[in-house]
Amino acid sequence: MLQSEREKMMTMQAHQTAYVQRASFSRDGATTFLGHLDLMTCFERAARRAGLPILYSQGYNPRPMMVFALPLGVGIETRCDYLDVSLNCPYDADQFVKELNDYLPVGLRILKSKAIPEPKDSIMSIVTTASYRFEAKGIREAMEKAMKEETLIVTKIAKGKEKQTDIRPLLISLSQGSDGDPDSVEFYAFAGSERNVRPDLILSSLSMYCGMDPDIAENTRVIRTGLFSGEYPRIIPISDVEVRPLQVQN
Amino acid sequence: MRRSAFQKMKQYPVPLSKSDLMSVESPARYVGGEFNAVIKEDMMEEIEKTGRTDYVRFAFCFPDIYEIGMSNLALQILYHVLNESDFVACERAFSPWLDMDKILREKNIPLYSQETKTPLCDFDILGFTLGYEMCYTNVLQMMDLGKIPLLAKDRGEDDPVICCGGPCAYNIEPMADFFDIAMMGEGEEMILELSEKVREYKLSKKTDHPMTRQELLLACDAIEGIYVPSLYEVSYSKEKGADVKPLHEGVKKEIKKRIIKDLDTCTYPTSPVVSNLRVVHDRSYLEVFRGCIRGCRFCQAGFIYRPVREKSVEVLCEQGRQLEQNTGYDEMGLLSLATSDYTKFPELAENLLTTFEGHHTSLSLPSLRLDSFSLDLMEKVQSTRKSGLTFAPEAGTQRLRDVINKNIREEDIFSALRLAFMGGWSTVKLYFMLGLPTETDEDVLGIADLAKRIEKLYYDVGRETGQKMRRPDITVSTSLFIPKPFTPFQWEPQNTKEELIRKQHLLKDNMRSRNIRYAWHDFDSSVWEVVLARGDRRLGPVLLEGYQSGLFFDAWDDHFNFGKWVEILNMHGLAIEDFSREFSEEETLPWDHVSVGVNKKFLLSERHNAHEEKTTPSCREHCSGCGAATWGVGECFAKRNAGKEGDA
Repeated sequence: MLQSEREKMMTMQAHQTAYVQRASFSRDGATTFLGHLDLMTCFERAARRAGLPILYSQGYNPRPMMVFALPLGVGIETRCDYLDVSLNCPYDADQFVKELNDYLPVGLRILKSKAIPEPKDSIMSIVTTASYRFEAKGIREAMEKAMKEETLIVTKIAKGKEKQTDIRPLLISLSQGSDGDPDSVEFYAFAGSERNVRPDLILSSLSMYCGMDPDIAENTRVIRTGLFSGEYPRIIPISDVEVRPLQVQN
Repeated sequence: MRRSAFQKMKQYPVPLSKSDLMSVESPARYVGGEFNAVIKEDMMEEIEKTGRTDYVRFAFCFPDIYEIGMSNLALQILYHVLNESDFVACERAFSPWLDMDKILREKNIPLYSQETKTPLCDFDILGFTLGYEMCYTNVLQMMDLGKIPLLAKDRGEDDPVICCGGPCAYNIEPMADFFDIAMMGEGEEMILELSEKVREYKLSKKTDHPMTRQELLLACDAIEGIYVPSLYEVSYSKEKGADVKPLHEGVKKEIKKRIIKDLDTCTYPTSPVVSNLRVVHDRSYLEVFRGCIRGCRFCQAGFIYRPVREKSVEVLCEQGRQLEQNTGYDEMGLLSLATSDYTKFPELAENLLTTFEGHHTSLSLPSLRLDSFSLDLMEKVQSTRKSGLTFAPEAGTQRLRDVINKNIREEDIFSALRLAFMGGWSTVKLYFMLGLPTETDEDVLGIADLAKRIEKLYYDVGRETGQKMRRPDITVSTSLFIPKPFTPFQWEPQNTKEELIRKQHLLKDNMRSRNIRYAWHDFDSSVWEVVLARGDRRLGPVLLEGYQSGLFFDAWDDHFNFGKWVEILNMHGLAIEDFSREFSEEETLPWDHVSVGVNKKFLLSERHNAHEEKTTPSCREHCSGCGAATWGVGECFAKRNAGKEGDA
């Protein structure tokens, strides 16, 4: 690296004030089949097309500062996921929503946004719980059965190695008061960086232990319906979490 | 421009179950829904409701996987041109990878388009872009999966018209049995003229005098640049070579390629389809000019894209600005055969960099020539990280560089590298070819010598400047020379595999250093590429049988089965040697009935110059009379006329 460049980098290390929009979004249709990295790229490009004043990370490979609350796996729709977008100036939330929506590919949609102070806690670190909706023939009965099991051992492939893991403790509870439709079910499960369960593992446990046809299990429509913070049952949606502001010492 | 309309874009369901989609690698390849994709919903509705036939549905087909196809500029340009017209709806289709191929076959689901998921057999026209010969069998795969008879002669009145274009279309003879139409040259105008003819054909079906498919093909033959293989009778003999005769009165004897005369006014896609998943070249493309002033004698692109036509810097700056805004890509590639040959290159680069200021958008310059290399610009372009420097001397000695007319001098290489090393670069990639005409062991060893002297230069620079140098990373890459039609080397033989392997070992054994890495290209695929590139219609049955026995994705080394191909070739009474041999200057070549503007006489004189180690100046320095000036446009033409005025 040239000397002048190195100096330039050093002076850039000073903290940039971020004006953060905490937004919720949905996805369905074609974009459901994107992996998380591609999904992030889609949002980045949409924000660039919209000309939003996004802040970029510092360092050798600056990236737009967009943080997603929880990765969204391939094949999972969402009705309410969250991301934090850092901007370099204050921005009206409604305008932010409208402008980003104009430039997102079909299937991705910003639902709501609000300006928050630059958060002390990363949006990823506050997620504890997710709610899901599964739609498939006979899914309710299978899921009810699963909740009565003591263990649900499934095989998980992590870093190329197969690993047996019990996902039963990660399922929290079926949602009360849903319409009783036998072909859909909603439930809460642990989510986030500490404890997390992937919906496809739940589905494979249903076909292994709860009498569900594997083909039906694999074709189950999976929708994430919400992300929450706090300990069940006292959970609150991510959008309602009070933000502890970051204290910057300059 | 607000794009809210796209939010309401109708999503057509994928004809596959979720578990099928989830079982394949990258399911996002098969679902569409990209930003800037065009769905003409009104037109679709009308067709559905009223059965209207005056619309033309065009499927632009790319015979390789999605990630490669979506990086293709021809696709973006023609997709845009077609969808701009009010009577065509163009959609895209790609080769499904083997996992998806299997599912489609097992479940008997026809290959469908990205936009409306329509089976390929329901389109009026399928247009394949042929960028490399090894994709030929994937054309067959797509037609087969799309439920379309593979052989042109088996297709009926209701089947789509199958056409192709791109660099391989100039010698389409090996694929002549499968295509109804080949388009020679730049397609922007021709493709609409063709679509118009198909529209007339469809309309005529509702009248008292319906056109037949044969009449349609004859009508298409009247369009300049269009070649209808089935209208010709072909025979081959050892002595005379190919004999290509029109079957009917009035069918053109010579097919002359089309060019766009004024690129400034020609439609260019400044809102290209942006893939949702990351593709091979994940950036927007700004095409700077067409053609190349250089005339490297091995390079097909250097001849078939003549004459050189530049876009004005004003148009480019505006298109660049729009592209950045409409795509959101954080990188823009300046695309041409040798970008730094653009007359106002510094002005263009400066202007774009100013436009991108503060946007975190970078410029990618994939084809900077070493002798016009500007370190200053590289510094600006790659301000955040220093990737490698890439040079393509192509041959190891000045003698051989003169033979191939690659006018790079060693002094230029070394002075540029000295500056680069002083500026902190340490990664250098060098591209060469093995098996070039007249190549001797001395030339091969010249490559090793050059690499070692570059290594030495690196440490010398370190000593002179007192900088602490990390280890240099020098990569020498060799590909194999492939004689291509429409080049001065079209007659040249290809070295035998044994000879190439010997040369490769010679190079490897003489280039041992911990700082130099050697990468080489697969032999077998280069041998097969020659067969397809210089092949003729005798290959039709070979390709068909190969495909039917499961050979496709030949462009993918893991799936290319050379042994099996040779076996099938031999079974048809042909040998590799029939195509890799030296072609005689007297025989008629299988592609001689096609004219790319550069005439055969010129190519021949260039071949002779090569053997005499004589170089030919660039089109900018001096017009060598290749024949491309007959279009009356381009840099060489302007130069010629200016010269004439001067004389007078």
